[in-house]
Amino acid sequence: MSDPTPSVSPATSDVPEWRRYLRFLGNAVSQSVEGGWKFYVWMTLLTAIFLVGANAWAIQVRDGMAVTGMSDHVSWALYIANFTFLVGLAAGGVMMVIPAYLYNDKEMHDIVLIGELLAIASVIMAIMFVVCDLGRPDRFWHMMPIVGKFNFPISMLTWDVIVLNGYLLINVHICGYLLYKRYRGQPPVAKMYVPFVFLSIIWAISIHTVTAFLYCGLGGRPFWNTALLAPRFLTSAFVSGPAFIIVAIQIIRRLTHHRFGDGAIRTLVGIIRITILVNLLMVASEVFVEFYTGGSHTGAAKYLYFGLHGHHELVPWIWTAVAFNIIAAIMFMRGRLNELPVWLNTACFLAFAGIWIEKGMGMIIPAFIPSALHEIVEYRPSLTEWKVTAGIWALGFMIYTLLLKITINVYSRNMRDAQGQRTIESKDALAFGEHI
Amino acid sequence: MSLYLKKHPWLAWLTLVVLVTGFSMAIVWAQKTITPNAPAPVTKMKPAATHPVIIKPGPATPRLDTGLKDKAGNAVTVACSTCHSTTTPNVLRNTAEDLFQAHRGLQYQHGALTCLSCHNASNYDTLHLADGRSVAFPDVMTLCSQCHGTARRDYDHGSHGGMNGHWDLTKGGRIRNNCINCHDPHHPKFPLVQPVLPPRDRISVPKAEGSH
Amino acid sequence: MNDPSTSPKTPCSGNCACSGNSAPPPADEPTGISRRTVVKALGATLGVAAYAKALAPLTELTKETSMDEFIQKHYKELSKEEMAAVIQRLTQEAKDHYGADVTISDPQPVDGVKFGYALNLSICNGCRKCAEACHLENNHDRPSHQSYIRVFEMSKGSMDFEKGNAHYDHPVPQPDKYYMPVQCQQCEHPPCVDVCPVEATWKEKDGVVVVDYNWCIGCRYCEAACPYHARRFNWTKPQIPAEEINPNQSYLSNRIRPQGVMEKCTFCLHRTREGRLPACLEACPTGARVFGNLNDPNSEIRWVLENKRVFVLKEELGLKPQFFYFFDE
Repeated sequence: MSDPTPSVSPATSDVPEWRRYLRFLGNAVSQSVEGGWKFYVWMTLLTAIFLVGANAWAIQVRDGMAVTGMSDHVSWALYIANFTFLVGLAAGGVMMVIPAYLYNDKEMHDIVLIGELLAIASVIMAIMFVVCDLGRPDRFWHMMPIVGKFNFPISMLTWDVIVLNGYLLINVHICGYLLYKRYRGQPPVAKMYVPFVFLSIIWAISIHTVTAFLYCGLGGRPFWNTALLAPRFLTSAFVSGPAFIIVAIQIIRRLTHHRFGDGAIRTLVGIIRITILVNLLMVASEVFVEFYTGGSHTGAAKYLYFGLHGHHELVPWIWTAVAFNIIAAIMFMRGRLNELPVWLNTACFLAFAGIWIEKGMGMIIPAFIPSALHEIVEYRPSLTEWKVTAGIWALGFMIYTLLLKITINVYSRNMRDAQGQRTIESKDALAFGEHI
Repeated sequence: MSLYLKKHPWLAWLTLVVLVTGFSMAIVWAQKTITPNAPAPVTKMKPAATHPVIIKPGPATPRLDTGLKDKAGNAVTVACSTCHSTTTPNVLRNTAEDLFQAHRGLQYQHGALTCLSCHNASNYDTLHLADGRSVAFPDVMTLCSQCHGTARRDYDHGSHGGMNGHWDLTKGGRIRNNCINCHDPHHPKFPLVQPVLPPRDRISVPKAEGSH
Repeated sequence: MNDPSTSPKTPCSGNCACSGNSAPPPADEPTGISRRTVVKALGATLGVAAYAKALAPLTELTKETSMDEFIQKHYKELSKEEMAAVIQRLTQEAKDHYGADVTISDPQPVDGVKFGYALNLSICNGCRKCAEACHLENNHDRPSHQSYIRVFEMSKGSMDFEKGNAHYDHPVPQPDKYYMPVQCQQCEHPPCVDVCPVEATWKEKDGVVVVDYNWCIGCRYCEAACPYHARRFNWTKPQIPAEEINPNQSYLSNRIRPQGVMEKCTFCLHRTREGRLPACLEACPTGARVFGNLNDPNSEIRWVLENKRVFVLKEELGLKPQFFYFFDE
């Protein structure tokens, strides 16, 4: 809790830049856990949920993964479903960057950081879901190049490890650099971050493409074995990411009493209007191919949408997703959405939840039902899996909250004031994107 | 977009490098998966001392289970010749329904064959081939092979009949069943059996000690 | 990017944290500790305690896993001495955890040998004795009835597993059915090996695809990749009574697997590399199974391939299985 930095003024120029940067980070983190009672209640709640998840995971590691609902027939399930969705959310978070940098949309600059921070939180969550899906997390070091064995380039999972960690680093660098410069009151140097911004755009597409290749490269799983998987992943990512950001902007506005991001919300709504329809179109073509073709390779689709041989565990899930997506698509059609917050947020929630189901439970589970030898062993998440899932999401929200607080602190020049009082209310305009 | 590309030509280069790297990776991979393996070299097997393949012989002399048990619980059997050496069989009774006394209840289902197609009416300690030559009981496979040539051919090539021991006869021997170890000669079709070890797809979690 | 900001920028005022100073203590607290600090410290303590409690189950694991196991190298990088030490440790573990005296060997592939397996579908009567033999030979978890072989009851006139059923529990063989045991096909191009991120599974010279149970991280990607449902995961620590443990074990095949790793059929390499027949073949009462060296032109397996109508499962996937099926009639 106490600040370890010495109380000599380091404003002299002989302090190396990296030490200053580290100091800034320490400062930013230690001050980000300060806040009002609402903040403490929120963080305590998240911590409690996280601990429940951590305990469930610890029991799972001790007793074995038999405590999940998985089996040799459905060997990937809720964890990997969430992982897939979160990789999409991470890629979708960078959706803000494309209009801002490729098309010079000034207003999008305000919220680039919000998107990049979402990408950071999402990638961390995605990696955690994979770790929680491992039977032997104690052997994580086997995956490290040099000390372990890294089956690159043949295994798509090694590609995924590279691109996810790379993406995390790129986004951490961009956000860290911009905030640091802002905190020092200096304009950022373009060559220090602009190349990385462009790299993050390409990289965002790569993380989700690679994650799709993880599945669609498997000849033994006809449900995944379609070239449409990567485009579908990307399209749905560009629904879920912006939908989340739209809601996040409004929450930040309410908490900081600053009005910003109107134009950004308009742009994001414009993006979702397109992507949600393209996503539905892709789902429809998948459905057409599966059902018009028929045959036993389409057993998975039959099981998913209508049930197979008297088993229909997933049917309510997928129709919920379809309904959510279609209703959201219709709601997004409406003009002047940004003036109707209830309408807008409902649409965003429906789209987000719809994609979560469609890309999670509706994408991962059916590949295993029927199994490679056409057996039907059904799956239902166990309490352990729900706990672990909730725990990781809680941690993700914690990380996102703290990252946003750091950003807001820096931007509102609120790292500290003279009385040692800290408040996230600032007298300055939240000039997000002044330099960015 | 164009604005940036004009300002930063390196962007185009970066994209190119990424694509080229990706494609070359893909090509390397494809090569790995598409290249047909060279045909396996046929190694010259060094003629090594081979171990014998022992075929379990048939019963030395045919015996009949009386259905009784001795004190130790073993089945009491009696040699066929006990009766057949003293009685003259009625050769006209040669279907399962006609049989009585010791043969009562014999399940018989073997094509159109009758008892005397194989059994020797003059000597019940031996069998006979179609041409009348006698065959000792241990050599029963010769008899079966008269009709079941394909099964015998497969048997000789190891693709019919249970076995134990070594696939590599330079390292050890092998014991093989003969026809009647598995097939009841009076009813050679396999009887129905109850399968063992049904699969279970759900794994139960044992209670770890110390967990409540 | 944009021109530098037009909003007023106050220079660093010394009190703001950009210098990295710690804040001066607030003026109204001359004597150090404020109520807020106490509450915070209390909260932090509670948090740490709750965290420790939540993760407590992990401490029970340390009884099971040793440091030696944690730092063990990949199978291919173990020297002879290291391997001997590993085997010694595993033998001790079998004694400690299961109360069984076992010998663990590490037989190597024999030069010039490439294993092949063929199965006669006309003869197989679906009794599942092969699955049971596998279960016993390979020290599988008893309660789950685990086995590398799954036998399907198939409808005559169809090769579609959609019409198959592995859970039949009535006297066999039924007249309108045939029976199809499926196990690892030891593919020439095994997708499970391609996808493994840590090279914990690979194809040996004699064609057997093996797993280093002490290297696998349990991600189950191979299980998703296998089109033959041949891979199995240890969802929990295998339970086997001491007296039922098969003591003749090898490192890459039937030693008792740890929890949380993948395993698979290895054509009983602890037997077959010594020239013996696999356990499932010996258990087969009908002699439907044929095993041998594909490189030996005089072997039984080669005779079957050359003289019978042979097919492989899911040939269209192009994985070139080394497991063949054939019919007599």
